[in-house]
Amino acid sequence: MSRIAESWRKLQFLLRRRQMDKELAEEMRLHAELKAQKNIAAGMQPDEAQMAARRQLGNTTLQQEHSRANWGFPRLESLVQDVRYGLRGLRNRPGFSAVAILTLALGIGSATAIFSVVNAIILRPLPYKNSQHLVHLWSLNTAFPEFHMGMSLPNLDEVKAQTHSFEAFAPYKTKRGTLTGEGAPERVVISSVSSDFFSVFSARPLLGRTFEPADDQQKNGDVVVLSHTLWRRRFASDPHILGRVIHLDQKARTVVGVMPAGFTFPETSEAWTTLTPSAEELRNRTQWMFFTVARLRPAVSPAAAQSELNTLAEAMKTRYAEDMAGTNFLLTTLHDDAVGSSRSQLLVLLAAVGFLLLIACANVSNLVLARGLQRRHEIAVRAALGASRSRVMRQLGIENLVLALAGGAVGLVLAAYGVSAFRQLAPADFPRLDELRIEPLMAIFALLISTTSGVLFGLAPALTVSRTDPGTAMKPRGIENPTHARGFSLRDALVVIELALAMLLLTGSALMVQSMSRLLKVDTGLRTDHLVTAELNLPPARYSSENSQVAFIRQLLESLAAQGPISDIAVSNNAVLDQNTSLISFDPSLNGSNEKKTNLESKMVSPGYFSTLGLHLINGRFFDEHDTKGASIMIIVNQSLANRFFPGQNLVGRSLRFSGEGKDQYTVVGVVSDSRDIHVSAKPRPEVYFSLLQDPSRSLYVMVRSRLEMPAVRALLEKSVWAVDKDQPVSKVRTMAEVIAESVADRRFRTWLMSAFAVFGLSLTLIGIYCVISYSVSQRTHEMGIRMAIGASRENVLGLVLSSGARLAAFGALTGLVASFLMMRVLSNQLYDIKPNDPLTLIGTALLLLLVALLASYVPARRATRVDPMVALRYE
Amino acid sequence: MVRVARKNELLPGTLEMLILQTLTRSPMHGYGIAQQIQQISEDVLQVEEGSLYPALQRLLVKGWVKSEWGLSENNRRARYYTLTKAGRNQLGIEADNFNRMIAAIARVMQTA
Repeated sequence: MSRIAESWRKLQFLLRRRQMDKELAEEMRLHAELKAQKNIAAGMQPDEAQMAARRQLGNTTLQQEHSRANWGFPRLESLVQDVRYGLRGLRNRPGFSAVAILTLALGIGSATAIFSVVNAIILRPLPYKNSQHLVHLWSLNTAFPEFHMGMSLPNLDEVKAQTHSFEAFAPYKTKRGTLTGEGAPERVVISSVSSDFFSVFSARPLLGRTFEPADDQQKNGDVVVLSHTLWRRRFASDPHILGRVIHLDQKARTVVGVMPAGFTFPETSEAWTTLTPSAEELRNRTQWMFFTVARLRPAVSPAAAQSELNTLAEAMKTRYAEDMAGTNFLLTTLHDDAVGSSRSQLLVLLAAVGFLLLIACANVSNLVLARGLQRRHEIAVRAALGASRSRVMRQLGIENLVLALAGGAVGLVLAAYGVSAFRQLAPADFPRLDELRIEPLMAIFALLISTTSGVLFGLAPALTVSRTDPGTAMKPRGIENPTHARGFSLRDALVVIELALAMLLLTGSALMVQSMSRLLKVDTGLRTDHLVTAELNLPPARYSSENSQVAFIRQLLESLAAQGPISDIAVSNNAVLDQNTSLISFDPSLNGSNEKKTNLESKMVSPGYFSTLGLHLINGRFFDEHDTKGASIMIIVNQSLANRFFPGQNLVGRSLRFSGEGKDQYTVVGVVSDSRDIHVSAKPRPEVYFSLLQDPSRSLYVMVRSRLEMPAVRALLEKSVWAVDKDQPVSKVRTMAEVIAESVADRRFRTWLMSAFAVFGLSLTLIGIYCVISYSVSQRTHEMGIRMAIGASRENVLGLVLSSGARLAAFGALTGLVASFLMMRVLSNQLYDIKPNDPLTLIGTALLLLLVALLASYVPARRATRVDPMVALRYE
Repeated sequence: MVRVARKNELLPGTLEMLILQTLTRSPMHGYGIAQQIQQISEDVLQVEEGSLYPALQRLLVKGWVKSEWGLSENNRRARYYTLTKAGRNQLGIEADNFNRMIAAIARVMQTA
């Protein structure tokens, strides 16, 4: 308690410092006067008495200072003073400060950004209570161990009865269904779950309730729980939603609850219904259709549970030999499932960025050392005035810390941009991307690494510089360490490594950027301008017969054709340029060809497909409305197919056999041009087209061309579809440009990352070279002066410095070239249409690097030429 | 610190104890305190001014004395220091410590 009172008093004295000063001075004056009086009384002369009194009083300044030390918090104040000196020093040397802060900002910023990503995606636990105990149970067949299947219900019963590792189980199935009723029909993700599903996650509802055991037997009728997003989007967050009836897949269900925002397990579920297994599903041990989440008992580890499952599987193989043949159970943690393959990628990123940070620190260390040596005079004066070595080191340390924190602040801003850029550019299926945010934790992390960096890069220079002996340092400049032999120091080696690394990153980035641009310019053989696509999935319940499907398609085509602004229409059973296709097996030997049996791309298309997508007719004709059911099946093939299996032959009118069975025989009516309709990077394959009116499908992709903007086209599409069937949802409406962009999103993301690192690496290297050359120039000032005095011209000196820079650059570029040559093949499967050892790229980046290095050496070189020989020689 | 005739080092904090003791009788200003100590110790203990005022400031900060301005004997403005209750307590503690220290030293010296 007294400590607090004491501190309070100290604070008060601190605030009233000026007054205290005056009072103390007055007090001491009185003291001197009284003493003088005493001396006079003892017999001295008045002025002698006064002088004696003052002499006895001693060093008033020092006393006042000692007294003042009791006011306030001296240690804190000297800290504040050091910080002020630090800031002033930074302001006075803007060049140095800017370079150092920028370097640190790059290193700290990138480290913070990547850390944020790693934290959000890998480190942070899933947003469920005690998520480390949540696991997924799978069945797998030893013949295809990568293919994970769900559990069958009888097997799940066995696991429940025979194992002790689990607390609760929740089987579920997910599908896409139709939501109809007021408003547009929509396709939503529906999960059917057991009644204790929500309790496995300890998830409480926002409104109403989740399921209870009575719901399993549907004692309460058909119920449904909504997700937060669906409730907000479709029902405008209606607080009276409970008890309302909605129609899912034509079935009426009562809403009994709404989940809070953020709960969407599994996948992106929008509604949960009860699991109502059929009698067959309850009985059949090999229907591996039920994905299952389970909660481990508190003390049980996943490994222990897995071994229990293995034992059970073995036991079951004897009991149910036929059903369980080759089957094993697998357990994975929910966390691993979510994070998946991104873990290794992100850890590599983390390592790379840690490396960048170290290089940044090394650079700044060089800079600070060089600057410190320039300040030797100043430090010597401090030491002469009485500063101890530790005091000097503390001051230098605090200045470095100020620098580091400034760099950290800028770095934090960079990191914030970096994180939002990452969110936008990362491919949509990157795990847990929506959990990545800009958050206060980033600031804490940035603070931490700034401080660590400050200590790291400041330690060596502070130690060196504080050792300054006042004596030698006070001697006039010029009599410094004689130039050491210009060997290859550690600093030089570091710069060469930086150069090589920068070259690697630059080459990689250049290759990927070129690859990306070539990819985007590729001729797909398709017309994709002004095209909008949409996906329709006809529900099996209402479109079970092929006739009903054909009827829908016909009516849809008519309805679309009636819309004025729509110029071209195409419908297919497969998306175009969305990495989707169907295959059909083809035996060429049945048709007189020597080629082996193979799979062909196959598509069902509407008559307008070919003209809409710009495919050319080479021979024969396109499909038309007369190619209907009942007539013999017509096919159209593409050029690749014709050239590969039947070169030089006329296929039009020929009948092709696809397999040994009787019916598999079709007449070719046309040959069309090739196209890359699976992906921009995939070469065209032999393809066969069927008419959608002869061979319909329930999953349809509609493509229309219109000059109107997207929202207007979407409205037209919906209007046309709903004119045919008002309950048919129209999903995934996108422009073709968006489809193509999404299909290369992965690659674009990697290119972006690589380029970002390349730019950073190059900047750091530039700074590194500048530092090293700068330092060596400051060491050799004396030497330069002498050279110029005995006749070297400014150009000679310039050349001398530039040549040392060029030497470093040459070493670095050479090492970089060799490294690139060896390592670029790592990228070869990412590159499109460009070889990893593309000579132009390699030479180009090497030249760029040399140029940059020379540029970085130029500034210190110019400084060297401005040395005045007279000054340099004066103290010879 | 406190200069004894033979320039000995005294235990730290002694000066503050002496000041507190001097103030038990009545409030005094700085010069008066120094004079008092000198007189009572018969000139053995001469307080250097360089240590007096910093010590007084320390005592102020610690709350063992308080100060107010008044008029001195010859009508000059002077700052008078008074012992506080906390100061009185502290004096007791320090005096005990000091006595114990002295007794211990004496015992050691006797056995020599």
